[in-house]
Amino acid sequence: MRAVAIIGVGSHPTGRFHDRPLKALAYPAIWGALEDAGVTPADIGVAYVGNSLAGLLTGQEGVRGQVVLQHSGLNGLPIVNVENACASAATALRGAWLEVASGAVDVALAVGVEKMNVGDSARTIGALSAVSELDLSEMGMQFTASYAIHPKVNLKSRMRDYGWTAADFAKPAVKNSFNGSLNPLAQHQRRLTIEEVVQSRIVVDPLTLLMCSSISDGAAAAVLCAAELAPRFTSKTPIRIASCVLQSGVYRLPGDARPDSATTSAFAAYEKAGVSPEDLQAIELHDAMAPAELMLYERLGLCAEGEGPRLIDERVTTLDGRVPVNPSGGLCSRGHPVGATGLLQICELVWQMRGEAGTRQIVPRPHVTMAQNQGGLLLGQDSAAYAVTILTD
Amino acid sequence: MRGPDPDVVRLPSQSGATLCLLGNRCSQCGTVAFPKLPVCPRCGRNETMEEVEIGRTGRLYSHTIAYVAPAGFRAPFFQAFIDLPEGPRIFSLIGSECPVECGALEDGMLMRLVVEPVADTPEQGQKLTYKYVPQDPNNGAPA
Repeated sequence: MRAVAIIGVGSHPTGRFHDRPLKALAYPAIWGALEDAGVTPADIGVAYVGNSLAGLLTGQEGVRGQVVLQHSGLNGLPIVNVENACASAATALRGAWLEVASGAVDVALAVGVEKMNVGDSARTIGALSAVSELDLSEMGMQFTASYAIHPKVNLKSRMRDYGWTAADFAKPAVKNSFNGSLNPLAQHQRRLTIEEVVQSRIVVDPLTLLMCSSISDGAAAAVLCAAELAPRFTSKTPIRIASCVLQSGVYRLPGDARPDSATTSAFAAYEKAGVSPEDLQAIELHDAMAPAELMLYERLGLCAEGEGPRLIDERVTTLDGRVPVNPSGGLCSRGHPVGATGLLQICELVWQMRGEAGTRQIVPRPHVTMAQNQGGLLLGQDSAAYAVTILTD
Repeated sequence: MRGPDPDVVRLPSQSGATLCLLGNRCSQCGTVAFPKLPVCPRCGRNETMEEVEIGRTGRLYSHTIAYVAPAGFRAPFFQAFIDLPEGPRIFSLIGSECPVECGALEDGMLMRLVVEPVADTPEQGQKLTYKYVPQDPNNGAPA
């Protein structure tokens, strides 16, 4: 396996773009990444395109990758369509990484794109529920509930066992809204208060509207190349992919003593990259619902069980903290166009590591960072896909 | 009216059989799966799973009220996980005889299996599925 670097990233702003189809969302992300990398379409050896919901929501059931890439002027190359729920884009990145690492190609493109605003939010919520195993969605499982009462994230047991409160659940949303207010590409750029978040309407008790990521359109892309070839294309700092781990969920029975899959995937990524949780200087993680960020602090090894809220209280994970989490604003503020999210996370980390993040730039510039992306839900009491990427410069 | 799936739910019969779910149990390690699996989820052996009647009752593991529903469902509605005495912890909706209000349910309470339409909507009203309701409707309900 050869060393692989990300040499260019690009993204479409995240938000509500009613009149813009999938291919129009993808185009500025793709060309943003190509121009940032200093490559032309002819340099791209292969492309992986992540998307989750366009079949159900737009009717484009097949060949989505070919559709969006031909629109952007990329023809004839091998194109692989990737569907892995909310982890689709990180999975696309992994495909592109393996192609370059293996020596099959020198330059690869990873794209993630999602169109969720289709004028009918019940239909969008139905489509999101369909990224759970059919037995669950047909039974009427509302996917938000998986972040409230599911055995793997049971917030009521957190309230009982560790005294977590609604204000604790709101803390990541408030922290990330500050970061989002500094991100011109973010869907929500207004700073929130604890009171506002707690008092917004309940979606699935105890989750309120402002604790939930919202329906979002967006796209992101990255150009990868063999690390030794990077100077041929760009003078910008090449960002190395130190590890890129993909796991599927496991079938869990009550009393299962095995570590959570978010933990095992993160620690596999640490091991392959040769780093430990204390080495991380910035993290973009999957806060689809705000309290999930608190659970992930534990699972990524940043704190002991139950201590998540303390990391925000003590400003460990704020933008000025020791390890800023979700500097982009995360899924709740930056936005969560599901099939694009994994690469939106990568865009943010690359900008931060190059010192290009504007008013939300982490100081000093981070050198070791992690993107954590997950999605889907299975009958066996676990998410479907876990993707963790560690970047170094 | 359609369903429920006869491979998932056994309806009461004239010969006296009572309503239950159908899971399967591994003849080697005893693990019970629901819905049925062809391969044991614990020991990984193939062709060891044998059908078993389960889930006539259960204990409420966790529950919440969802105020936003996917297409075909009506909010507010309960979402719940039920621990079956045979082992599985399963997702279930709560039967319509239980009012959708805070205090109607309490984690740990004894639940009973029922069969009714998936939801009271045109899309789901003609399809039957299993749900759970409190065994004793007064247990955990506000006085």
